[in-house]
Amino acid sequence: MIVAVARRIALSLLTLVLLAIFVFVATEIMPGDALDVTLSADELAMIPPERLAQMKRELGLDRPAAERLVAFLAGTVQLDFGLTIISRTPAADIIAYPLRNSVLLAGAVLAAAIPLALALGVAAAYRYRRALDNAVSAGAIIGYSVPEFVIATVLVILFAVLWPLFPATITAATRDPAHVLLAAAPLPVATVLIGSIAYLARILRVGMIEALASDFVERLRLTGVPEWRVLLLHALPAGVIPSLTAMALYAASLVSGIVVVELVFAYPGLGQELVRAVTRREVHVIQAIALSSAVVVVGLNLVADLAILLLDPRTRR
Amino acid sequence: MAQPDIEPLVRCQGLSVAYADLDGGLTRVVSDASFTIGAGEAIGIVGESGSGKSTLARALLGYRRAGSSFVSGSLTCAGQDLLRPSPRTLAALRGIEIAMVPQNPLASLTYHIRVGRLVEEVLRTRAGLDRRAARARMLELLDRTGLPEPKAIAERYPHQLSGGQRQRVVIAAALACNPRLLVLDEPTTALDKTTEAQVLALIESLRREREAALVLVTHDLNAVARACQRVLVMKDSRIVEDGPVDQVFGRSRVAYTRALLGSALSLDAPPPRRAQRGEPLLDVAALGFSYERGGMLTRAPSGRPTLDAIDLTVGRGEIVGVIGESGSGKTTLGHIVAGMIAPCRGAIRFDGRPLAGHVAARSSEERRRIQMVFQDPLSSLNPRMTVGGSLVRPMRVFLGLGRAQSRERATALLSQLGMGEEYLRRFPRQLSGGQQQRVAIARAFAAEPDLLICDEITSALDASIQAQVLDHLLGLQSRSAAAMLVITHDLSVIWKLAPRVVVLQAGRIVEAGETSEVFQRPRNAYTAALLEAATRARRLKSGAATGHADSRVEDALVPIGAD
Amino acid sequence: MRGFARSILRRRLAVLGLALVAAHLAIALAAPLIVPHDPFKLLDAPLEPPGAAYLLGTDELGRDFFSRLIMGGRVAIAAALAAGFLAAFGGGLVGLAAAYYRGLFDDVVSRLVEMKLAIPAILFVSLFVTGFGQTLPVLVFVMAVIKMMGVIRTARAQGLVLMEQGYVKAAILRGERGPVVILREMLPNVADLLSVEFALRSSSAMLLVSALSFLGLGLSPPTPDWGLMIHDGLQSIRSEPWLILAPALCISTLVVGMNFAIEGVADAAGLEAARGTAGH
Repeated sequence: MIVAVARRIALSLLTLVLLAIFVFVATEIMPGDALDVTLSADELAMIPPERLAQMKRELGLDRPAAERLVAFLAGTVQLDFGLTIISRTPAADIIAYPLRNSVLLAGAVLAAAIPLALALGVAAAYRYRRALDNAVSAGAIIGYSVPEFVIATVLVILFAVLWPLFPATITAATRDPAHVLLAAAPLPVATVLIGSIAYLARILRVGMIEALASDFVERLRLTGVPEWRVLLLHALPAGVIPSLTAMALYAASLVSGIVVVELVFAYPGLGQELVRAVTRREVHVIQAIALSSAVVVVGLNLVADLAILLLDPRTRR
Repeated sequence: MAQPDIEPLVRCQGLSVAYADLDGGLTRVVSDASFTIGAGEAIGIVGESGSGKSTLARALLGYRRAGSSFVSGSLTCAGQDLLRPSPRTLAALRGIEIAMVPQNPLASLTYHIRVGRLVEEVLRTRAGLDRRAARARMLELLDRTGLPEPKAIAERYPHQLSGGQRQRVVIAAALACNPRLLVLDEPTTALDKTTEAQVLALIESLRREREAALVLVTHDLNAVARACQRVLVMKDSRIVEDGPVDQVFGRSRVAYTRALLGSALSLDAPPPRRAQRGEPLLDVAALGFSYERGGMLTRAPSGRPTLDAIDLTVGRGEIVGVIGESGSGKTTLGHIVAGMIAPCRGAIRFDGRPLAGHVAARSSEERRRIQMVFQDPLSSLNPRMTVGGSLVRPMRVFLGLGRAQSRERATALLSQLGMGEEYLRRFPRQLSGGQQQRVAIARAFAAEPDLLICDEITSALDASIQAQVLDHLLGLQSRSAAAMLVITHDLSVIWKLAPRVVVLQAGRIVEAGETSEVFQRPRNAYTAALLEAATRARRLKSGAATGHADSRVEDALVPIGAD
Repeated sequence: MRGFARSILRRRLAVLGLALVAAHLAIALAAPLIVPHDPFKLLDAPLEPPGAAYLLGTDELGRDFFSRLIMGGRVAIAAALAAGFLAAFGGGLVGLAAAYYRGLFDDVVSRLVEMKLAIPAILFVSLFVTGFGQTLPVLVFVMAVIKMMGVIRTARAQGLVLMEQGYVKAAILRGERGPVVILREMLPNVADLLSVEFALRSSSAMLLVSALSFLGLGLSPPTPDWGLMIHDGLQSIRSEPWLILAPALCISTLVVGMNFAIEGVADAAGLEAARGTAGH
């Protein structure tokens, strides 16, 4: 058991290190260095070569790539992602609060999505190929087929324009306390929630269908064990366990969805920072955002893996 | 002995069960079944896979699988209607009056719950015991079914038990409410022969102790011969024969039953006389194989049976049999000789020269000379390739034949196997199982091998087709004079094909010699157990065995739970 | 084959989905022929209301909105299909190769897949667009790489099953070389699976490309594109909501249609993992 847990944690750390290397390579080595990427071709042409060389020295870009990679990894471990090139502020400071705000949003979505998806998935599986299942399945397809930004804009038109229950954009500031942000965020949460429920309910439905078709369910029914026990005590854990891995994979999509809705609603999270950084070509901020969201995703995957270890005795050897 | 004609416990009249197709049609899996089961009677239902025997067994509990329905007929147990039961009838019957022991004990036990709890659950919800009483009774049941240290076993999860232990747990759960009818669906399929004998003995003694009726659903005639008084033979959804075991097995008038019996081992027939051992072709010395476990970051490979100190010689044109049960390492041995996996220890010599372990390190000529036929006929042929394509490929790779030439030879090979030229253009799915296996055999012979490895090549086939495929195989073998290594758990295949045999148990050769000698005078206890289990039905026929009440059954109770 | 077609036609949602996809593809292909106006030309005052001259009015630059709407799927659909195709067949080959070769290659591929699955798609694109520039080929390539990871997983798992089949073992025992085994024996047997993956990945690439355009990370103006149109429409969401609703309807019907069709066809082909819920 301890070996299995240690193995999972070690694998997660390894994945993170590889991710950090990947992020560095993708942004700093392949097409040019941070400065080339940050400055447009026009700007590069305007700067005299001596000045450019001096800037590169200041940023440490004249050192070999391997050396810079080590420095980058060392900095990352200490949460030092470097200074932004234009405003010279630490990238870590820029993303700290937006990261908190995005995690807040994700947490609110998951807290509502998981129980609802569980209920829908189990109900649909139990009524396999009947009216309820058909409705849930079709609804789920629609739910994850409609892009988040479409759901978001339609919700704005419905609940902020036609029937102004909520503000169309969020007025809360980046450093407001959590409850203020959440109180202002029902529409963003609702937007991501629709896709999340659709996706998760679909996974859970398949897991439950498999579980309900298993031999042990048949044995229990042939023994006359009450149906609620069959469903809740036997089939439910067996349906959820194999779904956990697929559910954890959803974490990455969740982050993508959150980035989109943050933009629509001007929610002060990572999404806003990301688009700002991309348009200003602030490499260090993009790196910091990529790594911090990777930590969240890898962390959620680790939680899923550990939950499987906890729930499935077959994995504990 | 029960008196079935006084007050039958179960009365089934003209029962049909059918699955609805998407097109609205009905496919019958049980047609017009009529029979009765007396109180305390032991009945076997035998038939090949797909004959409808499992569906019939489930109907006895008023249960039908999703998509199926009871089309016609009537079925009652103790006067209660089982085809249109009220929820209250079902609640009163299932698990209490009638209990089922399902086919696959591992899949039938909820994997995330400890086995003790699974048995307690039945006691608490069905027998109405409170927590403490249920626990005491559970331990009692585990003990009665022959599980050592019930307290320790109760705390384990299903995957932590051996196959025989799981089967005992499932039986314990079924016995929780002292049912009047116990239905067992293939209870011994997943078990090795030694454990099977113990489980059958347990079932037999429990039945007599509790005076319950018993329905044993199986494809294994020997198991029926051991545990039952009456037998129903099913074929293509119908009951084709119904009568006392010794009568049906002894002098059946139904051709199908005789075919089923024909596939069972009979030592009465003369032993095979074939080519004597020539100069050695394959020489395996001190061969060993084991799987080292994976490291911290690599996936650990699935456990493959290990092999230890295997010595084996096959002469030119000779047929040598390898018997063993699943897990004995016999398939691993075949894979090593074929070159699919490299041995860890020991040496293989082929035609006097050392043979590289892995196929990639062998010469093309060596690869051509050693061919293999696999167990599952469907999966051994590429579903996207025609029969012709599958047969032509080895000829082009090994013999460098052109298109027309190889086509001609493929046609010739097929005709030797009793299949016409038109099959060249067919796809594997359009063939029957027997035809598929014949094509797989033809593909192996297409390379003109000197040694053919046959891994359980008839196990996936219906009994009635096995003999035909073996005859074709022998025909081709005698014409080509290739040697064969026949790997199987089926002793009758060895009896028919191989004059010499080795017996493999847990990765070691426990007995080797002339087949007639080994089969008629086994010196090893394990070999004797295999033979005992395989010959029961036939010995009934020849009058040598006396049905279920055999003193050896009681003897077998001694090592219970030691599996 | 006829039975298969009939089995699809029996599923109402599958039929609806196929009809939606067919309609979208037909419009996208015929778009240059059927547009009433030049979608790039500034024709009139900005934000004209819908009327006889311009069916859906003009956009914020004074271009005919209806013409832009009809043209608005072409580039995105083409990009999504190209990315889906690369993902399905590239990922299929990589996954099968990982299953065939195992060892170091498999370990590296599996680790890369796991790593990529941990990066949200939008961030992955941001990284690449920052480095390689925001051009259509880069976009297609990046989307293909993103969508490929799931395919590699599926194909690898299926490849491991195929490696246990007698015909693959027989080919290996014949001494056939790796690429021959993969292409002759394995690939044809995952063709069904990869076709479904192609459709599945195309539909999710369609979602991704429009989300990217909406964020300003995907297609760039003046390309008519639904994602871009919705983004531009946000400014006039209160006064001209149809500038958002019309392209929103287009994207949604296309992707919903694709997924209904995929679900129905895969189900009819028996590719869905789910079976019955046992008996009563």
